[in-house]
Amino acid sequence: MTARAPAASPLPAPAEPTSPARPLSLGAFASSEPLTVGVELELQLVSTHDFDLAPQAQDLLRELRNHTGAWDVKPEITRSMIEIGTSVQREHGALLAELRDLRGQLTRAARQLNIAVAGGGTHAFQHWSEQQIYPTERFHYLHELYGYLAKQFTVFGQHVHVGCEDGDRALWLLHALSRYVPHFIALSASSPYVQGVDTGFDSARLNSVFAFPLSGRAPFVRSWEEFNAFFEKMTATGVVESMKDFYWDIRPKPEFGTIELRVCDTPLSVEKAAALACYLQALCRWLREEKPFEPIEDDYLVYTFNRFQACRFGLAGEVVDPKSKERSKLRDDILRTLTRIGEHALDLRALDACNLIRDSLFDGNDANWLRAQRRVGVPLAAVVEQAVLRWAG
Amino acid sequence: MTDISFFNWLRGEGAVAAPVGALEALRGAEPVLGLAVVMLLAVVSADALYRWVRVPRACGWMMVGALAGPLALDVLQRGELDPWKPLLDLAIGMLVFELGSRIQPRWLVDNKWFALACVLDGLVAGAFVALALVWLGVTPASAFVAGAVAMSTSPVITLTTVHESRPRGQVTERLLMMSAVSSIMAVLAIKLVQLVGVADSAHAKADLAGAAASAAYVAFGSFLLGAAIGWTLERLYRVASGRGSMTVLQIALVVLATLLAARWTLSPLLTLLVAGVIARLQLGHRLTVEPQLGTLGASLTVLLFVCIGLLFSFDGLRTAWPWVFAIIGARLAGQALAVAVTARASGLGWRQGAALTLALQPMSGMLVLLAVSTFSWSAQLPGVDQGLLRALLAATALMQFTGPLWAQGALQFLARETDGRSAT
Repeated sequence: MTARAPAASPLPAPAEPTSPARPLSLGAFASSEPLTVGVELELQLVSTHDFDLAPQAQDLLRELRNHTGAWDVKPEITRSMIEIGTSVQREHGALLAELRDLRGQLTRAARQLNIAVAGGGTHAFQHWSEQQIYPTERFHYLHELYGYLAKQFTVFGQHVHVGCEDGDRALWLLHALSRYVPHFIALSASSPYVQGVDTGFDSARLNSVFAFPLSGRAPFVRSWEEFNAFFEKMTATGVVESMKDFYWDIRPKPEFGTIELRVCDTPLSVEKAAALACYLQALCRWLREEKPFEPIEDDYLVYTFNRFQACRFGLAGEVVDPKSKERSKLRDDILRTLTRIGEHALDLRALDACNLIRDSLFDGNDANWLRAQRRVGVPLAAVVEQAVLRWAG
Repeated sequence: MTDISFFNWLRGEGAVAAPVGALEALRGAEPVLGLAVVMLLAVVSADALYRWVRVPRACGWMMVGALAGPLALDVLQRGELDPWKPLLDLAIGMLVFELGSRIQPRWLVDNKWFALACVLDGLVAGAFVALALVWLGVTPASAFVAGAVAMSTSPVITLTTVHESRPRGQVTERLLMMSAVSSIMAVLAIKLVQLVGVADSAHAKADLAGAAASAAYVAFGSFLLGAAIGWTLERLYRVASGRGSMTVLQIALVVLATLLAARWTLSPLLTLLVAGVIARLQLGHRLTVEPQLGTLGASLTVLLFVCIGLLFSFDGLRTAWPWVFAIIGARLAGQALAVAVTARASGLGWRQGAALTLALQPMSGMLVLLAVSTFSWSAQLPGVDQGLLRALLAATALMQFTGPLWAQGALQFLARETDGRSAT
């Protein structure tokens, strides 16, 4: 089985309260072709009149029901969001081609409805209380459970799935990647504005994620057997019922045979989204084949600090190397990593992706770009309009 | 249909002496004072109605206006409204300008089925009304006039409903666009009525050419004047971009546009719609059109709706009720057909289509009178059978009075586009 973009929800599905709780088994980890990738993007639907969010996901989904392409499109928690997912891909070129086709069909459908589509981790000035829950049983249940948090979760992320052949290797890769989580946060950061205010963060979206229980990082277990035991213990408490209940930065997706990186903001362009996915692909190949270090639990001592630096300062943030304990700028750390994984990127035909990532280190991330659009006297609606134009290519 | 004893009671006949004295005092007072008192009552009553039974405020304003008019208490006469006409023109003008700034003509290019829906909506509704009336024995010429008036969905009631319930969604956007397009079509159709009237005259051939030239002059002239007004707003805002200047510039230019359009016998509606569109294109995000222009506009809107109520005439309901219901029913059927035929191809669900059809029901009366010197329908629609004119007035009054209920109900309960966003 190869990696595929699953029907992921932005929120952990809460367990129905059952008493006494019955332990559930996670089951086997489905094998998939290593290093295949799938991309999911949560996108903003905005009005072309005032560029505020437009609750028209149902209309757009109806327009897209006969789309051509292997990609998927589905609703999200509120009516101003949709999620798209690519098919399983092996190379950057094909992934980018699919994303561009998807963008084209999406843009055409949106124009039929006089709405626009935009990337970005947050909408610059939407008000959470005005968002409407998408009318499905599950989303209404989440709204009842989480209350206003559900509407506040009108934030937009990119998830990247990477195929793994078995659960043990998936967990090894998951922990090895933890050191690089800040790279993806800083590179993809595109959510400086929240509710009409510049938060000072490059990625303010992740602050919304922290509000949910069971967010953060996966427990440090190395084998699928141990992970199963952890999962059974958790289900016995009645707190969780499925893997969807965990809202970790990286989590295994056993039914698809993947690990899923969930920290990225949705970039402002499909080109950046494809580049991020293929940077991850090359990084995973380098880690798997060269095994430059062995992940240990102490790697997580600096995890939340590094994560905060990336959210707050983006590429200018400082991270601490969990092995050497040395501090360095994230920008420099990414540059060094790009040099190390160069050969693997070449083998995977992902050099264009890595070049785009390298360029963005000097040009700045999408959060910098959004701030640059905000000139004196220009309303945030104009910034959203620019984001719409950038998404449309 | 008029309940004489009820109106007698309202007029004070048989009631206690004190209210009668107050009414008499108001009837004898200056019209300005009378209207001011009526406005106060309208605001308080409409707010109370809204809070108790969620009736849209516009219905309350119109109800108080109707009760104060010749229909019931007779505090104000219709002729007393003529001095207020410039203010009312400004109120309508601002709403039409705002509508122009909200719609995007590009949508009609992107979605050709929706463009077809916009055209069919007016054409089929007008044709159905005309055919129904001919079937009921009305002369074709008069039936054509009624059809032309029935084409339009009231931009005033549409925008006021949107301001009050703040809906967001596909039905709302389409309602605004279709209201604009149908109003333009109605203006052109009424011009066509005059043209046909000329064609029937003795010197038909010569006059027809002149009338056609006159129609073209109105269409192109209104477009050019509107474009010039929109362009001027952008130029002036470059010079005067201080706090509050945008609102003042808009008011001044709307007044100017209305006066110039009237003086040059152009269409103020088309002029102001084009001005709104061009201003949005030129100014982009710098154009802020406050809903109802803030407090001043809100006052004007209340005044406007009170006056709409004052102008209500239900005489036609007594004398020609089959025509009244034929106009309303045929218009509904025509709009339903136009929406249904294009709904799915243009990206609308059936439920949304039903909501859109109902939301399109408010008919437009003030539109016909915008920028003419008096509130006289017969002056605008010469040669129309007087019985039909009364029926048309009654149908328009009914569909204006109940219009906010249709529009708000459709957007809230069928399209579900308000979701608790109503302004308090």
